[in-house]
Amino acid sequence: MSTALLEQQSETVMHFQQLFQEREQKLNGQANAPLPRLQRLAMDRLAETPFPTRRNEDWKYTATTRILAPAYTAGTEAELAAEQVKAANIVCLDAYVLVFVNGVFSAKHSQVYGMPPELTLWPVKDALKDDRFRPIIEAQLFHEENQVHNAFEHLNMAFAEHGHFIHVPKNVVVDKPIHFLYISETEDQAIFTHPQIIISLERSAELTIIEHFTGTVKGDAPYFTNVANRFHVAENANLKHYRIQDESVKAFHVNNTRVRQDRVSTYSGYLVDLGSRIVRNNLGAVLLDESTNTNFYGMYFGRGEQHIDNQTFIDHAFPHCESNELYKGIVNDKASAVFNGKVLVRQDAQKTNAYQQNSSLVLSPKAVVDSKPQLEIFADDVKCSHGATIGQLDENSVFYLRSRGLSDEQARALLQHAFLKEVLDFMPEEKVINASEELITKKFQGEF
Amino acid sequence: MLSIKDLKVDIEDKAILQGISLDIKPGEVHAIMGPNGSGKSTLANVLSGREEYEVTGGDVSFLGEDLLELEVDERAQAGIFMAFQYPVEIPGVTTATFLKSAVNAVREARGLEELKPVEMLRLIRQKADMLGIDHKFLQRSLNEGFSGGEKKRNEMLQMALLEPKLAILDETDSGLDIDALKIVSDAVNQLRQADRSFIVVTHYQRLLNYIVPDYVHVLYNGRIVKSGDKNLALELEEKGYDWIKEEVAAGIPSL
Ligand SMILES: Nc1ncnc2c1ncn2[C@@H]1O[C@H](COP(=O)(O)OP(=O)(O)OP(=O)(O)O)[C@@H](O)[C@H]1O
Ligand SMILES: [Mg+2]
Repeated sequence: MSTALLEQQSETVMHFQQLFQEREQKLNGQANAPLPRLQRLAMDRLAETPFPTRRNEDWKYTATTRILAPAYTAGTEAELAAEQVKAANIVCLDAYVLVFVNGVFSAKHSQVYGMPPELTLWPVKDALKDDRFRPIIEAQLFHEENQVHNAFEHLNMAFAEHGHFIHVPKNVVVDKPIHFLYISETEDQAIFTHPQIIISLERSAELTIIEHFTGTVKGDAPYFTNVANRFHVAENANLKHYRIQDESVKAFHVNNTRVRQDRVSTYSGYLVDLGSRIVRNNLGAVLLDESTNTNFYGMYFGRGEQHIDNQTFIDHAFPHCESNELYKGIVNDKASAVFNGKVLVRQDAQKTNAYQQNSSLVLSPKAVVDSKPQLEIFADDVKCSHGATIGQLDENSVFYLRSRGLSDEQARALLQHAFLKEVLDFMPEEKVINASEELITKKFQGEF
Repeated sequence: MLSIKDLKVDIEDKAILQGISLDIKPGEVHAIMGPNGSGKSTLANVLSGREEYEVTGGDVSFLGEDLLELEVDERAQAGIFMAFQYPVEIPGVTTATFLKSAVNAVREARGLEELKPVEMLRLIRQKADMLGIDHKFLQRSLNEGFSGGEKKRNEMLQMALLEPKLAILDETDSGLDIDALKIVSDAVNQLRQADRSFIVVTHYQRLLNYIVPDYVHVLYNGRIVKSGDKNLALELEEKGYDWIKEEVAAGIPSL
């Protein structure tokens, strides 16, 4: 690392340490409660773990220095009008809703009545005090199977105050999706928030969660959403995970989601990125046993100066596992997108079915896409394919649509929509498809 | 309605249309025939607004407007409809969505209100029934995986919905079996009216038994070398094009 970078990083970390100490001082004897102890541990780790820089191959295209430059403080709950929350909600979706305003859980805006009694949905802070759950959470937080945790994850753990823990016991099918709605709003003070969801699905349990990140930057000060999720999907369990990210285009967003899957389990991620000035998603699935099913369906759409970086990792270590990965995206104006998808098929992972595809449309001469699908195969009896295409809109199609009276703009919007729709169509929940489509339409119309 | 005067068109510096003149009055049906490569599709494409053609001379006026100055979507809105020889497939856009967007775009340009979803659906279904198109096609991606005949019928469905002033059919009959041909011809005949004209490009006299033209023109080497009534098509069916080529070689004036 260059000295300038080193200096900036140590300044950043010092700033974080100072914030951390200020908060600790306010704890008044609570510092030895389980959560503050974990946070102290994470803070120590953060001090030892440099933030990745562009010299790091996996971070080549994304400058963390820009994300870390503002002098953030922890978000505090702001008054939000009920209409504002309603506008951010998913129309007609029957779900349990947890609303977080500037990272702070807002009971007032949330709706969690009527949850199945077997289900545990607790603040991590409380769950850690329960002997049944503490070992589960700690196992989730500290496993480092095949991947070392990065500084953003330590930062999240050090500052996450409103993380939630979900435990679904065996054979329980949760009747409605759990919707985590994160709304941030800044004016002249930059804030960071640390959303955290830790999920443990026991054998044959089923759950759908929706993360939705949105917000507004009213003044000059950006906000930074730094997410870290840990999901464990036990044998024959099924987790559906939607993530809709339409943050302010002045915001920064880093999302680390690690999934661990046991035998015959299914994880499906439906991932929509529309917002943020810079967004970096690390999504990884470690397959711990045979016959798992892993699906990553991602779509992204960048305009203006947005930068959208998706890194995915699927680690096949056992036989008969299947993974499907499809990422499609559009970049326009000066936007850039990165797709770096690693699929590792280890020697013992015979009969693996791994499919990976990344397709992008680049609609302006200044827009850029870097696509790197990587398939590393060490087993010999597998079915794997991967591919990347980068193209423009098909002008024959544009002409055809225009010859039926659609304007050039309408024709192009329709075709872009169709391109992205292929990914949305994998979503089982139609209301989330509709909500995503509406956001895409708004984006076409330049509303954000 | 449409008046083409001495139209000359190049593609990649090659002269394809070498002075075409044609006058089409409201309600008329003009058939254009001619050997492969003679320029029939080129003429149709230039009228529809394709950009890869270079107009090097002549004028085209449509309902008093300079057609060549209009963008392709403006032409469609003004009432030109081109049924393509090879309609493109557009994955991800359902036929229904496409039809709705097109109908509303054209209505808006013509100063009409957008149709309500229910009215739209009723209209689309009614026209689909007229053309014997199964409603399940409406939910499929536009033309994707449609057979040749299904694509052509889909073109006719669009024509029926967009109610053009001038419809140009480029080999809509090619690849249709006899039943489909009848359905397509019936649709065209139903749409025939005093203020709507048709240009029908075809290789086969068979179509003209169903859609009886007012005029038949023979295009050869980028020129209209012969014009006549429907009997000219019968003559061509019987004798082929050689006699016309010979006449042209001998310098016998057309008409
Ligand atoms: N895009 C193009 N680039 C180059 N040459 C072209 C192009 N389109 C047409 N041509 C040429 O222009 C000439 C006229 O073609 P056109 O398609 O108009 O013929 P046509 O009369 O419709 O023939 P067919 O009966 O086979 O459909 C042909 O020589 C063709 O090769
Ligand atoms: Mg042709």
